[in-house]
Formats: sequence, structure tokens, C-alpha cells
Amino acid sequence: MSILAYNGGAIIAMKGKNCVAIAADRRFGIQGQTISCDFQKIFEMGPHLYLGLPGLSTDTQTVMERLRFRLNLYELKENRRIHPKTFSSMISNLLYEKRFGPYFVEPVVAGLDPVTFEPYICNMDLLGCLNVPVDFVVGGTCSEQLYGMCEALYEADLEPNDLFETISQALVNACDRDAMSGWGAIVHVIEKDKVTTRTVKTRMD
Amino acid sequence: MAFMTKGDWYNSQAFWQNGPAPGAIYNFPGNTAQSESNGFQRSQAPITTGTSVLGLHYKDGVVIAADVLGSYGSLAKYRNCERLMKVNDNIILGAGGDFADFQYIKNIIEQKILEEECLDDGFSLKPKSLHCWLTRVMYNRRSKFDPFWNNFIIAGMDDDKPFMGTVDKLGTAYADPVITTGYGAYMATPLLRKAYEDNKEMTKEEALQHIHKSMQVLFYRDARSFPKYHVGIINKDGIEIKGPLTLESNWEVANM
Amino acid sequence: MAMLNEYSGRNLPDYEFEAVKKVHFSPYADNGGSVIALAGDDFCIIAGDTRLSSGFSIYTREQQKLFPLSNTTVLGCSGCWCDTLTLTRILSARMQMYKHEHHKEMSTPAAAQMLSTMLYYKRFFPYYVSNMLAGLDENGKGCVYSYDPIGHCERSNYRAGGSAGALLQPLLDNQVGYKNQEGVDPTPLSQERALSIIKDVFISAAERDIYTGDGISIKIITKDGVKNESFSLRKD
Repeated sequence: MSILAYNGGAIIAMKGKNCVAIAADRRFGIQGQTISCDFQKIFEMGPHLYLGLPGLSTDTQTVMERLRFRLNLYELKENRRIHPKTFSSMISNLLYEKRFGPYFVEPVVAGLDPVTFEPYICNMDLLGCLNVPVDFVVGGTCSEQLYGMCEALYEADLEPNDLFETISQALVNACDRDAMSGWGAIVHVIEKDKVTTRTVKTRMD
Repeated sequence: MAFMTKGDWYNSQAFWQNGPAPGAIYNFPGNTAQSESNGFQRSQAPITTGTSVLGLHYKDGVVIAADVLGSYGSLAKYRNCERLMKVNDNIILGAGGDFADFQYIKNIIEQKILEEECLDDGFSLKPKSLHCWLTRVMYNRRSKFDPFWNNFIIAGMDDDKPFMGTVDKLGTAYADPVITTGYGAYMATPLLRKAYEDNKEMTKEEALQHIHKSMQVLFYRDARSFPKYHVGIINKDGIEIKGPLTLESNWEVANM
Repeated sequence: MAMLNEYSGRNLPDYEFEAVKKVHFSPYADNGGSVIALAGDDFCIIAGDTRLSSGFSIYTREQQKLFPLSNTTVLGCSGCWCDTLTLTRILSARMQMYKHEHHKEMSTPAAAQMLSTMLYYKRFFPYYVSNMLAGLDENGKGCVYSYDPIGHCERSNYRAGGSAGALLQPLLDNQVGYKNQEGVDPTPLSQERALSIIKDVFISAAERDIYTGDGISIKIITKDGVKNESFSLRKD
């Protein structure tokens, strides 16, 4: 079994009209055994910048800490907020430094540009290969299910409320068909002047 | 069988030593059961091989082609092997892969056809039937982990309609207007599929032209190919295997 | 004993040669393909894509993967194509034998049980096929049976299987099973809705699964027989 699927988990991000959403399940498990239902996989890296790290949980936390460190240095030195695009390159660079002994995470970034408030999403593989699509990105053990849901449910230019509905349906229904994801979900909808965080009730089996 | 060798009160002594028990089969001494426990060698690799076979539907028939090389690993060992076989008056069989396996199957098919002709009932084997039969033969051998290492293309006229089907070493079978095997699948399929999609009602000459072009492309890039090939043409007037035709090539750009 | 005889100290000439490389043989191939079946109150729809492929090659763009077994039963197969061919041939032969023996056609639940038995018979050298049996039961109600390669069988009202099964199934849960939807009263599936869902989900699957595409063929099973439809998908 892949180390990427040792703890399980699912993350998804979608672009809307002047907003982005990012959502994740809340399970922390060791293979089939569920340990807790309030595990954090999405991290706030700035007022409009969120980072999801599905994969091996220990690496989720390590990568988050190391990125936060680099991010703090960047923002101290530059004295301004980082652009999501720059932040993605930072992650990509951090991951590629460990090309031959990688961190087992597949990061998902969602945010708004700090100047123009342009929506931005991207994801990458565990070596840092960037992918910046126009619609949605997924990651984690049920990415196949997520792709199926997103391809059918996604529409361009959704308003924040509709985007929340779409991303939640996609995540929850996909997680229900994956034994290693689920047990609650959390959704962040990022807009120019507010971030709405909701926890979603799901089946707990 | 040990209890049979010495007689006791209840059992008489064995009739003769080392012989079979009454009703049993004789085992030669020193060879008993041992050969079985050691197992036997199954065919694990093709030896003398042929490369791609190409086939294409045209307006009222099918054309099929294969070059004449029998490769021995990377050695171009046999330079005049015909890989197209006339099965009867409306079927041609083309073979890629192991040449010995092809010859073995060829023998069986020839015997089949002979027996059928002896019936003299006016019926003859149809390409769909041969295709189906070959599928079963190939599948049964793969199920014994002893496959015939071939890719076959069966082309012919089935009730005045062109038919072309293929079978591989697993018994995977399908019918299509464009079929290619081996490296042809990567290099000739795009050319032939495009030709067929542009004009599904092409003439025999056009079809032959496309096949010729594809064989030439394959000769340039497939290292196990040869500039001579046979081409089979099947239509309602019967079949014809032409060749060996020669492929012209131009190596001026190569630094030799 | 065999070991002793084999290496009894004799020096045999070395017959190894480097001319031919050994090629590994696997009796199975993954030829892809996806099948979906939806059951309604008085009908059943089964759809399968028409692409037959292996690795990065497309063998053919028009391969039927749906096999009518009787007037009210259709089998959809995906996976190892050579096993599919063998399995469906034996199945149709046994359907025929049943017909001649009992002077009636086999019912869908009976065919479903027979298929399960036939798959389990090959438990230790399985048919590598993901099967889906769609039809009408004794009461004329739509039914779908799905299988694993060694004969586990389950009846349901909607199911997706094959290479894009994982992409399609959660969508069916949501759209057909009304899972995770609040304040919706589950209306029974109509034929039109079933058909449009099937087309939608196959379009989605063809976007992300390279083994699904080219087209789909659909069979609509009602008490009046089986109706065929087709629909084209992206061909790249």
C-alpha cells in the first residue's frame, strides 16, 4: 500500500465568481482504524490564503510548519502579503528539494490575490509538479471519486453560497464511497472581505 | 505400490517385479513420477518472430499485408517467410509473433480445411467462424499458461460483406475496419484510421496505396522489419496474395 | 529426491544463449470499459462505453460490451476482454440449455444466481471481469445485480462499474439515490431522467478516464422488450 494512503483523507478546492472554496474531511486514521474526527488538514496561511495537505499526516504537519517558517521569512523580508502563486512556487520548491526522499503530501492551494482579489487555485504532486487549472483541484485517497463528482457538478462563476453547496456535495458524496475519508468535513469559502468556515455533518461510518 | 511387491497371507506376491500392478500402467524404472514432479517447460517467450501485420477495409473487400522477415532476437535470420496464409477461397490469415506457433496452427487449419473439403457439401469455412475458432484455441492455451505467442488477423468475405478480425495470445478478439498488430499499432494505425475515416468507400488501389505507405513507414522505423512484403486482397471475386513486393526507401539523409 | 537427481554433480554443457530475451507472460489484460445500470419501477437501463483498449492503445472504438441474455436480461461486462468473451459465450449457451430444458426463459434473478455460481467456479483462476446484470424481476420491477470477479453478487437499484466505476458511483448515490440531500422527497426514477443522468455521467467519466470514451450504447429494458440507443463521447 502506498504511504500516501496510510492515513487517508480528501481535499478539494474550487473557483467561483470572485471567491474560492476549499474543503477537506476531518478523519485521522491509521489504515482502517479511525483515531479522531477533528483532524486539521487545511491551514490558514494568510487572510486570503489557505493550504490543504492531504497525505501522510506526519508530513502534513511537518510541511505546514516548514512552509509557515518560510512564509514568515518572506513576509518579514518583503513586508507584504504573499501572492498565492508565489506561495505555490514556494511549496513546489520545498517539495522538490526532497526529490529523492519526498514528503508524502499532495498540496492544494486556494486563495485570492492580495492586490487584485483574483481567485487562484492549484495543486501539485508529492514532488512539487504544479497544476493550475481554471475550475477545480482535488487530492487525497478518493481523488477518483472527487473527479467524478466535480466533472458533473461544477459550473463556472458560482456565487459563494452556490459554490459552498457544490463543493460540499462533491466532497461528502465522494467521501461516502471511500473507506479512508469522511467522518465530518470542513469548508472554507474565501471572499474579498470575509472567509466563511462551516463544518458539515456527514455519515460517520 | 510397495505393498504389492511382497506377498503375505492375504495378498499374493506380485506377478513380476517393477511391473505395473494389475490394471495399472507401466512406469519405466528410473523415470517414475519424477518427470512429473519436475514439471515441464512452457513456452515463455517467442523465438523466431514476425513483426507487424496490417489490415484495412475498402469498398468491397479487405487488404492485408505483412513483411517477409523472420527475426531471431535482433538477428534478421529468415528473409523469406510468408506470413500470410490462404485458408480457403475467401479467407486470408495473417500472423505476427512466434513463427513456429504460426506454422503449427497453419498445419491444423490446413487439416481442418482438407477434412471440410472431403465432405464436399458445398459449404466452406467463413472468416467469422475461423475468427471465433482461433479465439477459443488461443484462449484455451493461455488458460494453460502455455500460450501461442501470436497476433492473428483474419480477413475475408462473410456473406458478401468484408470482415476483418484479430486475436492475440490471450484470446482477446475484436473486429474493426482497421487492424494492425505489433509496432504497426503505434505507427500504422493513425495513418490507416485517418485514411479510412476520410474515405470509407475507397477503391482497392487506394487501399493498397495506404497499406504500401504504412509498410514503408514501418520499414523506416521498426528495426525488426524488412523491405519486402506480401499483400493479400479479398473481395467477392476471390482472394489473391501478391508478392513479395519491394519497398523503395531513401536513406540519403542518413550518415552512412 | 527430485532435487538430488537434478544436481547430482554432473557437469552438463551450458546451453544458455543470449539471443532471445525472456518475455513475461500474464494471462490477464486490462481492456478497460465502464458500465452503468439504473433500475426503475417498470424498466431497467444499462449502458456501456464502446472503447476497447489496452495500455495507451485503443483497439477499437466500437465494441459492444452489453450482451442480451434473454428478452428481459442484459449483461454488461468490463475488464479482461478475453475472459468476457469466454464468460458470455458459456452464459448464453447455458441460457439456451435452460430454455430447452424448462420451455421458458430464465428469469433475471435466476440468471444472476447462475452467473455468481459460474464466477465462483473459477475462484482460483478467476474471470477478470466486472459484471453488471440488468433486467426485470418476476414482478416486472427493474433490478440490477453487480458482481466482483469471483462471484460476490449484490442487488441494487443503481450501480456503476468498470474503469470509471469510482468516478461514477458517488454521483449516482447523489443524483439517483438522493444521498446527502436534505429536504428532497425521493421521486421514483423516470426513464427520461435515467437516460439523461447516464449521458451526463458518461460525459464526466470520459473527461478523466482514458479507458472510457468514444461512445456509449444504451439498452432500455421494459416488459415490451429491449430498446437500443447510442450516444457519442469524446474520442481522444
